Amino acid sequence: MSRRHFGYQDKVLLLQHGSTELLALAQRRGAVLHKLLSGTGIFEQDLHKPLGRLHHTDWLTLLQNCRQQVQSPELPYLLGSALLNSRYISLCQSLQYAKNLRQALAQLYYFRHQLFPCFYIRLYQQQHCIVLEFKPALGLANQQAFMLTVLCSLLLGLIKQQLGTLSGVSLQLQQSAESPALQQQLFGGLNLSFNQVANSLSIPLALWQQEFNHANAAEFNAARRTCRQLNHVLPKQRALPESVCRLQRRALPQLLNQEQIAAALGLSSSSLKRQLSQHQTNFASLLDEVRRDAARQLLRQGNYSNRQLALKLGYSDEHNFRRAFKRWTGLIPSSFKGLFNFN
Amino acid sequence: MWRQHRYKMLFSLLLLLSGLLLAVNSGNAKLSNEFDWLDVLGEGTTLLVAIGWLGLIISSRPAGRVTEWLYYGSLLLVYSYFLDLLDEFIRYPEHLRLMSWLESLPAPVGMLILTYGLVGWHREQRAINRQLRGRELFLRDHQLIDPLTQLYGIEYLQAVLQREIELHQSQHKALSLLVLDIDNFAGFNRRHGMAAGDTYLSRLSELLSSQLRHSDLVCRYAGDRFIALLPNTALPQAQIMAQHLRQQLSQLADAQHEPVLTLAEMAVQQHSAQAALQQAATVMAQAKTAGAVTLQPS
Repeated sequence: MSRRHFGYQDKVLLLQHGSTELLALAQRRGAVLHKLLSGTGIFEQDLHKPLGRLHHTDWLTLLQNCRQQVQSPELPYLLGSALLNSRYISLCQSLQYAKNLRQALAQLYYFRHQLFPCFYIRLYQQQHCIVLEFKPALGLANQQAFMLTVLCSLLLGLIKQQLGTLSGVSLQLQQSAESPALQQQLFGGLNLSFNQVANSLSIPLALWQQEFNHANAAEFNAARRTCRQLNHVLPKQRALPESVCRLQRRALPQLLNQEQIAAALGLSSSSLKRQLSQHQTNFASLLDEVRRDAARQLLRQGNYSNRQLALKLGYSDEHNFRRAFKRWTGLIPSSFKGLFNFN
Repeated sequence: MWRQHRYKMLFSLLLLLSGLLLAVNSGNAKLSNEFDWLDVLGEGTTLLVAIGWLGLIISSRPAGRVTEWLYYGSLLLVYSYFLDLLDEFIRYPEHLRLMSWLESLPAPVGMLILTYGLVGWHREQRAINRQLRGRELFLRDHQLIDPLTQLYGIEYLQAVLQREIELHQSQHKALSLLVLDIDNFAGFNRRHGMAAGDTYLSRLSELLSSQLRHSDLVCRYAGDRFIALLPNTALPQAQIMAQHLRQQLSQLADAQHEPVLTLAEMAVQQHSAQAALQQAATVMAQAKTAGAVTLQPS
């Protein structure tokens, strides 16, 4: 299997792809470098090496340190736009020269391991929008909201720069609003809602094909070539929880057990268990998550009976399915469907 | 901060050590069944708290006169409490009064010195408050300060504005707001880099807080928007101040006249901070379209 996952020991991130920007932002806001780096295993002299690397846990520690030292709610927004405009990240450069949003996002998704690969995306269409649903690809602990904001700021910044408008774009967030007015200001002219069932960004169909302001095929191809070259040093690999979810999702309605998944990933069952626990998750909850998302998607797509849904999701009977659904949403499936049809 | 105080720390250690040597030399150890553990606990806690004070002073205060008073006051307390704790373990001969003097005298002297230091700290705080004027009104919450511009943010503004609106309306006084917006700041950041953008923001905030009156309050409302609260100011006066600010702000722009700033003023007639801030956004939008119209060649 070509799609490898990265282990705990692998240094999968480049320092130049984010860490230097984050450190510069924090330092300009009065943080001290050696305190920011404490506990991360990053050395000061490595910061300017073009191919210096770090573990993904180092990145999380770095974020933790930054947020402790710099009390600035705008930090993730700034980091997102700093990443987007960084001259060192050829991936982000290539996004600017893409033909349209579709090409840019396909490019970003394909090379996402070159930035911090902490989310993967599920796409679906809803009325006149295409919705990107963000799923955490690894254990982010309490940095998830921060990283999600970074990602959204990057995407929205790209749309705003290249298409000049955010009209019709809306962002749904799972987290509860800490200071809604502030968030609204920072995201700037966006339809923002909190306490939703999933983290998702919906973009109107019209924006997907609209040509970018700086579209330039030659520059795009050049930047993409650089990205491909970077793939030699930074192989395409995904986080373990993401790989597990992907395998399970493909296998539905059959349910894979831990041994089967471990075998497919080339791990022993116990090391799969151990590595998942390092991501603060476990096999059962990933399985549950996959089924929950699949159920939501199926209900959105069509009018299935509970029995059909139970079969498609690998439940032994519809009562078990109903019980699980009630646990996920607090609603029974039929009232959830009603909710949908009325909207 | 503690690096400034190396000699003080060395001196304190020597002082405490000399106290210990003196005590060990002049008395002899008690037997373990003579220890009164309740006393040890009480005096030990007092000593720890006093040492904690010393630590806080060292780690948070820059060197200076007030710091010296605070430090040596607490050091005397620590010394006294330290000997107090020692005599739980060591018995002194009856005829030696020196140790009991050393135990009881430094504490009150230390208290006096500490009090004097606190008075100095109070004065210093008043001076700092004067220095902070224009950046802070009745409320203080250091967690809401934006670390880049050292201005308060949106939450602080909402709280303060609500209170000011109520006060001004009950006293029938006029309250005005100045709204300043940087046009296309994201574009500026993109062309000149994030570092240049950050520098510009901090220069802008310096200029704003130096050009307004002491009673005014500047807040960073959003990434690229600042709002100044002008208590006790009617609209005509606010317009004059805005005009003055426009002249001053033109110094900040670089050779390409970038970035362009839009400044608008408004009188607050709304009854809630929420409504007033919404009105401010509308006023800003109007000012921007008006600016765009005047820039077009006619």
